Amino acid sequence: MNKTDDVMKLVSPGAVLAQIAAAIPTDCRENLIIIGSLAVGYHFFGDNKAIRVLTKDADCLLSPRIKAIPAGVAITERLIHEHWQFRPDETWSKPGDANTKDENLPAVRLHPPGTTDWFIELLTVPESPTDRGKRWIRLKTSAGHFGLCSFGFLSLANYEPIRTPLGIYVAQPKLMALANLLEHPGIRPETMTGLIGGREIKRSNKDLGRVLAIVRLSIGQNEDALLQWPAHWQEALQSRFPNDWRDLARQAGTGLRKLLDSPNDLEEARHTCVFGLLASLPPTADQLRIVGQRLMADAIEPLEERAKQ
Amino acid sequence: MKANYQPDAIIGNTLVQVKRGTDAVNAVRTGLMHLAYALADHGREVEGLLVLVDPKITTQRLAEEQRYAERTLNPKVAGRLRVITYRDGKFHDLPPGFEPAVRQELERVIEKELERGGTSIPSTRIYYELLRILIHQWLQNNGPMTADWLARTAGCSYPTVAKALDQLGHAIKKHSDRRFELDYFPRDEWARLVAVSDRARGTRRYADRSGQPRSPESMLHRVQQFDQPNVAIGGVFGAKHYYPDLDLVGSPRLDLSIHCPGRHADLSFVERLDPALKKTEDTREPAILVLHFVRRDTSLFEPRPEGLLWADPVECLLDLHEMRLESQAREFLNSFPPARGKA
Repeated sequence: MNKTDDVMKLVSPGAVLAQIAAAIPTDCRENLIIIGSLAVGYHFFGDNKAIRVLTKDADCLLSPRIKAIPAGVAITERLIHEHWQFRPDETWSKPGDANTKDENLPAVRLHPPGTTDWFIELLTVPESPTDRGKRWIRLKTSAGHFGLCSFGFLSLANYEPIRTPLGIYVAQPKLMALANLLEHPGIRPETMTGLIGGREIKRSNKDLGRVLAIVRLSIGQNEDALLQWPAHWQEALQSRFPNDWRDLARQAGTGLRKLLDSPNDLEEARHTCVFGLLASLPPTADQLRIVGQRLMADAIEPLEERAKQ
Repeated sequence: MKANYQPDAIIGNTLVQVKRGTDAVNAVRTGLMHLAYALADHGREVEGLLVLVDPKITTQRLAEEQRYAERTLNPKVAGRLRVITYRDGKFHDLPPGFEPAVRQELERVIEKELERGGTSIPSTRIYYELLRILIHQWLQNNGPMTADWLARTAGCSYPTVAKALDQLGHAIKKHSDRRFELDYFPRDEWARLVAVSDRARGTRRYADRSGQPRSPESMLHRVQQFDQPNVAIGGVFGAKHYYPDLDLVGSPRLDLSIHCPGRHADLSFVERLDPALKKTEDTREPAILVLHFVRRDTSLFEPRPEGLLWADPVECLLDLHEMRLESQAREFLNSFPPARGKA
């Protein structure tokens, strides 16, 4: 199958978040956390309406888990009522129904009225600290049945999220970085479904590239920002994974070390940054390597030390 | 049985062994044999690269060694084994098709190996060490000294001290008990020292390669966490320790003085301080970290409760001159009572 080129579009993080916050029921705002590149973009460029982020989706985490189903149903119903459109793909031309198995249900992916530049996607946090596989729970709406997906380390994204003036939340970039580090203890061969900047990219390189982009943007705000990360990471890990936080802390740097040791993978990661969060000031491969080395020295190695104590 | 060998680095499919300052053919042979053993354990896609950094054997002798190796080794191994040299910061005999990213990685490995192995510090004129000690004693109002004390502090012989005292002529005040001290600030000799200060102190300059340079304050905060008993803070920070009223806000760079009475200093802390730091020879390039080497036997550094040490005032004064902060250098010098109105 030929991969389609970028379906990602340049969008303004502030404008997208404002549109989402205005569209969803007021009482659901408390339960909605924006994650992914839009959250990072909003955190670092939120005040600058001129800066846009290349993305295709607004990942929205519904939290806590116990509120995920009612909030997911209420948000989906409201958006469809407000003429948001189901985003069909190769598998699903319309929502599922009562006969669709949970694991086959389509995700809630809805385009806002009048544009297909981006879509909202609803997710939720895993049910328990040990539940790291991909799981689906059913959302029954008047428009059909949808699946609400949870996986991996999404629970880190709902640790002390930042409340925006819009009433919804954005995840802390440093915790999204930690989730991505843990999600990729190595460079897996699977590639993204679409091309990024005309190139086929391994998912691990894209996600670890996101980590490096967050680090570079954080250092741009505060040159010593990374020194605070190990303590925050430890708190978040202990809160979300009380039984095995030490094991997780010890493996947080495994994938990044492999990335830094592989010039070709690092170049792929750089490519995703250049066509993503660092488009306005693209780093060279050498500069991106330094970002990774600084992250190792300031945050990952101290976290590993904390896990030994 | 597999060879128990760890290369210095693995870049893609290439095992890399770095040897620096090799002055014996035996070292080259050992490097080649280690790589050959390792290649014999790997498939044909794996290659070996012996990098000789600033080798002291001739290019001709090196070529002969390579020919011997090719004749002796199994062709399947010899064909995958290459030797390149790295002299004066440049590669020689680099195989064609070396990608820039791989080349950069190789430079990084070389730099790391150089720092790990201890950096060789160029020898300096002992006269300038003696001059700095004499000025230090004068600025600190420490009174006269004996030739024996000066020789022991500098780590040199009595005749060397005597020769230096001769060179300083009238600037030396001799006492009846054979002790001596500087009578006044030796302006001309000082100007000569300032002119050659970078060579006299083996100065090494580091520039930022990240595009996000760390501030000297951030580096100061970080470096004082390290357990480095021979490293002292100089420059603007050091000068402000001795004279807090110095007319300067902030610092353009971090100056550190390294006490290394031997010829080698362990500079591995530089990479820990910031992986973005890279040594530069280009004096026009802004340096954010500058190292100076103090070769005398006694450092004259001062203890510092927060960690590390304070470089002595003479080192700080030279640092200010090197930064072209001339008015601040004058102000700093005049802050010491003996220099007031005399310097």
